[in-house]
Amino acid sequence: MTRGTLIYIVQRLGIIVLTLLVVSFLVFVVVHSLPGNAFISQRVHGKSLQLLLHEYGLDQPILIQYWNFLKGAIHGDLGVSLYIRGEEVTPLVLRELSVSCELGGAALIVTIGLGMTFGVLAAMRQNSWVDYLLTSFAVIGYTVPSFVIAALGIMVFANFLGSVTNGTFAYAAVWTGTYGTIGELWLPALSIGLYTSGQITRITRASMLEVINQDYIRTARAKGLKERVVTIRHALRNALVPVISILGTTVVGILVGVLVIENVFGIPGLGKEFVDSILQHDYNVTVGVFTIFALLIGLSNLGVDLLYTLVDPRIRY
Amino acid sequence: MAATITPLLEYSGGTLAREQVGLWRDGLRRLRRNRLALAAMVYLILLAIVCIVSLFWTPYKPNVVNTCPTYSLPGTPGHPLGCDELGRDTLSRLMVGSQISLAIGLITAAIVMVVGVGVGLLIGYLRGVVDAIFALVINVFYGVPPIMVALVLYVLLGPGVINIIIAIAATTWMDMARLVRGQTLSIREREYVEAARAGGARTRTILLTHIFPNALGPIIVQTTYVVPAAILTAAFFSFLGFGVPAPQADWGGMAQEGFSPLLSGFDPYMLLFPAIALSVTLLAFNFLGDGLRDAFDPRQRR
Repeated sequence: MTRGTLIYIVQRLGIIVLTLLVVSFLVFVVVHSLPGNAFISQRVHGKSLQLLLHEYGLDQPILIQYWNFLKGAIHGDLGVSLYIRGEEVTPLVLRELSVSCELGGAALIVTIGLGMTFGVLAAMRQNSWVDYLLTSFAVIGYTVPSFVIAALGIMVFANFLGSVTNGTFAYAAVWTGTYGTIGELWLPALSIGLYTSGQITRITRASMLEVINQDYIRTARAKGLKERVVTIRHALRNALVPVISILGTTVVGILVGVLVIENVFGIPGLGKEFVDSILQHDYNVTVGVFTIFALLIGLSNLGVDLLYTLVDPRIRY
Repeated sequence: MAATITPLLEYSGGTLAREQVGLWRDGLRRLRRNRLALAAMVYLILLAIVCIVSLFWTPYKPNVVNTCPTYSLPGTPGHPLGCDELGRDTLSRLMVGSQISLAIGLITAAIVMVVGVGVGLLIGYLRGVVDAIFALVINVFYGVPPIMVALVLYVLLGPGVINIIIAIAATTWMDMARLVRGQTLSIREREYVEAARAGGARTRTILLTHIFPNALGPIIVQTTYVVPAAILTAAFFSFLGFGVPAPQADWGGMAQEGFSPLLSGFDPYMLLFPAIALSVTLLAFNFLGDGLRDAFDPRQRR
């Protein structure tokens, strides 16, 4: 790692911190100006409401409230939940983050695995039925909404398969426990991953098509290398840069997928908590989830930019 | 020497030079050759007709309950697509639902186009501090998924179709502005813009009659992609329970209502029909967008 790279990373971290500050402030202000609050939803009124508002510091000016939130956040304390009164937000959100990471990670594996395999296959068999099949599959993947794919999955693997095999092989559509099992994880992960893998397939295919017409591919074939080696080591490696450049978008796509799919399958992660916390006016949790999403996106974008240098040593910062 | 110019076409005898056609005729010709885009257009015209018909007539009133037994399956006499959990006719609600989807998609796209093009042209032309501020705002904004911002904004504004449109437009105009900014930055350096400036044209004239028409191709293409994106976001909202207010039928909300009968396994069709309508519509807009991109914006072709 050169000194330039270090300076670059520090700069990028600075931008991430700035983003976190701006995002958390805006969301803080917006969420606090939503009509109603957590206590009114719980039918607390009059004097006891005033007491509660005072106890949680919600009667103070918004800027002071934000300042107090920041002071806590620097020490890793995102405040307490207003809905489940007194529950610490930080451990809650971290536990949900681990669940969402499990789901998102599985979706990322599906995305990259399916997307790159299909992209390479489609490019190698350009204009054949394999190509048409895989590109149509990609288009359907990124246009059909993830909840529709999830619903079709439930229809086929839970209802149909269940009734055909008398319940021996049926997908249990309800998530049990905090982390679920592999048997429960695959369908949510696939529902998210099909969307993002469609994008990867398209980019990989286009990028591979550009590379395989280059001279060094002909040279590699002329040397008598096996087709598999030519494809993977010579073509794919050089076709990777455009694919990596959309990985940042892919991460955002997966996070949106997590948001929706967690609510479909009742998975206790950040996406479900985000929607619940808005409905319950649980300010601190909403801001906490937003901040973590912003941090995840910032770090993954930085990671993507650093990946460039690994794949293509000519790129330096 | 007014009438002495000889047309090039007669001279070349039709073999050396191709007939000169404008952007529109050339684009339309290429679009007509794209079968997928044509099929998408036919579907969208049919959808528009269904939408207009549903304004005046549906087989049953879409919000009237108990027109048939609850959860009737497709094929029930008089109800080809069955009924939902309140005994409302699914076909009627599906037809009315197209109004919401099309309204959200098209109006959002129109707003995004006007605001995005306006801001993009100005920023690209003025450059300097304005551009730097815009770049910073964009960087910060893209730090969180736009759909989350739109969702919070929508909750803040309160339920209603217009508020959905505002929330989605407010979070998608930046993509358009960024595209137009880029186009403007490159077009403003062309000779004809320089000539117009040397001729003493005002900034507004240069922007509207020289730069805007030459950036129109990518703008149309981007607008076509905004439509399905807006419909999809609105469907996500409905599915998460933040949709159009209750009895009003919309595809995302119908899919959400159909989810628990699907999980219980006794009536998958309540979800299936709105899901199919939604998916096919999204596919059609995307195919049309791809077709338009190939036709009007050959440089971006992949």
